[in-house]
Amino acid sequence: MIEFLNFYLIPGLVLGSIYALGAIGITLTFSILRFANFAHGETMLLGVYITWSLVQFSGLHPLVVLPVAAMLTVLAVLVIDRAFYKPFRTSPTIMVVIASFGMMLMVRSVVQFFWGVQLKGMTPGIQRPMVFFDSLRISPKHVTIIGATLVLMLAVHYLLSRTKIGKAMRAMSDSPELAKLTGIDTEKVIRMTWIVGGALATAAGVFLAIDTHIDTNMGFKMLLPMFAAAILGGIGRPFGAVAGGLIIGVVEEISSYPWIGTEPLLNPGYKAGVAFAIMIAMLLWRPSGLFKGKVF
Amino acid sequence: MDQFYGIFLYVISLLTMGGIYAILALGLNIQWGFTGLFNAGIAGFFAIGAYVSALLTTAPSLRHLGGYELPYIVSFAVAMAVSGIIAWGVGKVCLKLRADYLAIATIGIAEIFRLILKNETWATNGPRGVSMIPKPFESLPEPWNQLAFLGLILATVVAIYFLLETARRSPWGRVMTAIRENEKSAMAAGKDIEKFRMEAFVVGCMLMALAGAFIAHYLKFIGPNATDPMTSTFLVWVMLVVGGSANNKGAILGAFLMWAIWSASEILTSRLPDELAIRTAYIRIFLIGLALQIFLQKFPKGIFPEVRPKPERREVVTESNASR
Amino acid sequence: MRYMGKFILAASALALGASAASAAEIKVGSVAGVTGPIAELVDPIIAGRNLAAQHVNDQGGLLKGDTLKMVLSDSACDPKAGVDAGGKVVNVEQVVAVVGASCSGATNGMVQSVTIPAGVVAVSDSATAPSISELKDNDLVFRVAPSDAYQGAALAKLAYDSGVRKLAMTYSNDDYNAGIATVFEKEFAGMGGTITANQAHEPNKASYRSELSTLASGGAEGIAIFAYYGSSGIAIIRNSLENGLFDKFFAADGMFDTSVIEQIGADNLRDRISITQSASDYADSSYQAFEAAFSATGKDPKAPYAAHGYDASFLVALAIEKAGSADRSKIGAALREVANAPGEVIRPGEWKKAKELIAAGKDINYEGASGQVDFDGNGDVVGVYSVNVVGDDDKWAITLLK
Repeated sequence: MIEFLNFYLIPGLVLGSIYALGAIGITLTFSILRFANFAHGETMLLGVYITWSLVQFSGLHPLVVLPVAAMLTVLAVLVIDRAFYKPFRTSPTIMVVIASFGMMLMVRSVVQFFWGVQLKGMTPGIQRPMVFFDSLRISPKHVTIIGATLVLMLAVHYLLSRTKIGKAMRAMSDSPELAKLTGIDTEKVIRMTWIVGGALATAAGVFLAIDTHIDTNMGFKMLLPMFAAAILGGIGRPFGAVAGGLIIGVVEEISSYPWIGTEPLLNPGYKAGVAFAIMIAMLLWRPSGLFKGKVF
Repeated sequence: MDQFYGIFLYVISLLTMGGIYAILALGLNIQWGFTGLFNAGIAGFFAIGAYVSALLTTAPSLRHLGGYELPYIVSFAVAMAVSGIIAWGVGKVCLKLRADYLAIATIGIAEIFRLILKNETWATNGPRGVSMIPKPFESLPEPWNQLAFLGLILATVVAIYFLLETARRSPWGRVMTAIRENEKSAMAAGKDIEKFRMEAFVVGCMLMALAGAFIAHYLKFIGPNATDPMTSTFLVWVMLVVGGSANNKGAILGAFLMWAIWSASEILTSRLPDELAIRTAYIRIFLIGLALQIFLQKFPKGIFPEVRPKPERREVVTESNASR
Repeated sequence: MRYMGKFILAASALALGASAASAAEIKVGSVAGVTGPIAELVDPIIAGRNLAAQHVNDQGGLLKGDTLKMVLSDSACDPKAGVDAGGKVVNVEQVVAVVGASCSGATNGMVQSVTIPAGVVAVSDSATAPSISELKDNDLVFRVAPSDAYQGAALAKLAYDSGVRKLAMTYSNDDYNAGIATVFEKEFAGMGGTITANQAHEPNKASYRSELSTLASGGAEGIAIFAYYGSSGIAIIRNSLENGLFDKFFAADGMFDTSVIEQIGADNLRDRISITQSASDYADSSYQAFEAAFSATGKDPKAPYAAHGYDASFLVALAIEKAGSADRSKIGAALREVANAPGEVIRPGEWKKAKELIAAGKDINYEGASGQVDFDGNGDVVGVYSVNVVGDDDKWAITLLK
């Protein structure tokens, strides 16, 4: 049982936290700008590499330089929005979806060009877990990741429910036409969406890099699970996305738990398929997601 | 002399791959261009076609299923049929989803197919792939075998083009457009939307499988890496958007043009000094992405914009209002 | 954006100018998975190939002072792109021979549909799939990278001889690692060892803790890992050590890289990990000659298959010299002559000496940085393997496996 906690549930929660942070950005873009942003994984990638460079430059801990890195990443995302997404505000969504797909290629190749493809580490070495009650093992970095995720989620909650811009974001997500009529500055709301999404994606990427390492394919490999999390939680529901991320992270890990006998229930080679399967099942069974999100 | 002969052979290979991509783009055009189905899982159906045809035509091997050494015409037909049946199953559950959702669902399904190909080693030799696949006309001397294979591909492209053009002008094609433009009024006109969409989806996926079968025989090898989403799904989308969606000529031109750019741009970058040449491999992808963006913004309707078939009697044709 | 455009214009103008200046240039194709899943591994391999060309050009060049030019083309580790890349170098660039195309799948497609029909020799420096030996290749396909069959057996013997009898194993589900794993499983069981559990894993996942936990439950004394260090290997070792699941590791050469020590830490790995590598002893004078030259490029000479990249390209150059002309049809036979005994031994970097011997009509026998590189009937080399452990200087220490 304790093994289940140590090696399946806790890693699942850590992974889930990372998915969750990324999924918030996806769900906001999806509901406010009305498109599935394929470049979101690459936003994460860019954020990680900027963080890495700042760490190399300053010698500080990644979490210390994270705010600066997030700002730089957000700046890049805003420039991208201005140059490549804004022309399509009134076009059919497919145009901007394809534009975001093109952006995915462009951002990744820029990262590969400037930083190279060699594997990099954010925090080299290994970290032995802390042991509680002689059996429960939690690694300090995992406590940091889960803790920081909680803090960021509270901040998002505060932003969306207490601030004027946050309320405008929610209004626009519920009904863009109505939001426009009530005099909400839509471009401002869109900017804020990119700021929140970009910053959280950077954080998610840095947490992933702290837990593992950095490589130029990490954006794409996180993209589909993050989509799955957003859909599972319900589009336009940031907390749904969080729940979706945690569920997908945990289910991915426990799918290979030896529930029956000693063999893994699901061949770990299929682990990557778990998120897709959940996502497809959810789309069919309840496209509005667990938390009654929007269905377009 | 050698140089010219070499370039001649290279042009043959460009046209062959371009033709195979044209089949993929035409398949996608039925789904997206005419019916508005956002299929982002092209790679999945492409892979089904490639593996089915490969396993049916190879000599017996201990590494994978198959060894039937069937004639190509049978293997192509079976590949299309298998893909059609699977597409029907997928369509049954997914086609009711709206555009973006359908896209995400089909990406997920294609990735699951890929995982199956990688993990069911007994059938597909897993990640190591199927080797020594026969190629039509390979017993002919050079360059005639390559020309004959190219002829087969181009003839297929032309045949599909005429079939699709006929279908597009037929009442069937017009219902498709009506569904894409305004689902509700098509429904009000008493059209069984589900059925029409399903037909478009299945036919499109069958063409994708045919392209897959061709590629397996052309490469003489097929492995999971040959069906990655980048060059098997996304590149096809770029081709269709650049060429002009809902226009079959556009789909074909987009395929040849984008493949030529994709492939031939490297001949220039490989002339750079070594260290730069490695890095420009990434810049090449960047420029292709940028070209796509410029195209989307400047020519949103592609090189050949959609041309509506004229209704038979009335002369009323309004400018297509729904740009895509 | 504007900067980028100018940069490319300037660079291409420069390159065109340069190619116009050198009159006689003999081209060899250098096909590699520059982009794609193993991009990080390919970078040092290309550096190895280019170093060989540099040695040739610095020491008198080919034939009558002609320059050897390695023409790079991207196979992206994808058979589609591999065939396209092969077609470009063979048909458009009119290369004399091809080195590459990195991954087994891409190589398999490229040789079958491009180089064999065109009658061009292809020398692979990293494709290890046994199926490549079985191709009807008219003696046009050579490999300086030994087939998996050798390495799987070598690692199994190493593990068994170290006293381990019960092993768990996991492999990354790609064309390279799945192949070695299959051989290893069979060989280790054949010696009398027990595989307690064997799982495929999907590369590029964030965590492998759950997989490792299941693998560890069978009472294994250690784990054999078949993975690329970047896409999953380092993560597996880190997860294992952090959670105390395994502390004895056996791995094949996809795992071999200095970044493993950098990322995990030398002290954490000391006495715990053994990696087989297709390479000769680092004390071998051939290897040292290569290492000294390669280190100057700023890249790691011990990176997987970098030495093979050098050997493949150097051998092709020797074969052109031996054949006496840049004639495609003569390279295959010449390749065997320069690679195999008998003859005076030539080591990496000794181009001038080789050129003089060939001019004098004497036989030569190239002994490469990666091993003896003697081709058998299939155009394969017999694997020479070394084992790497973490040495006292916190670097990899290597010994030849006998």
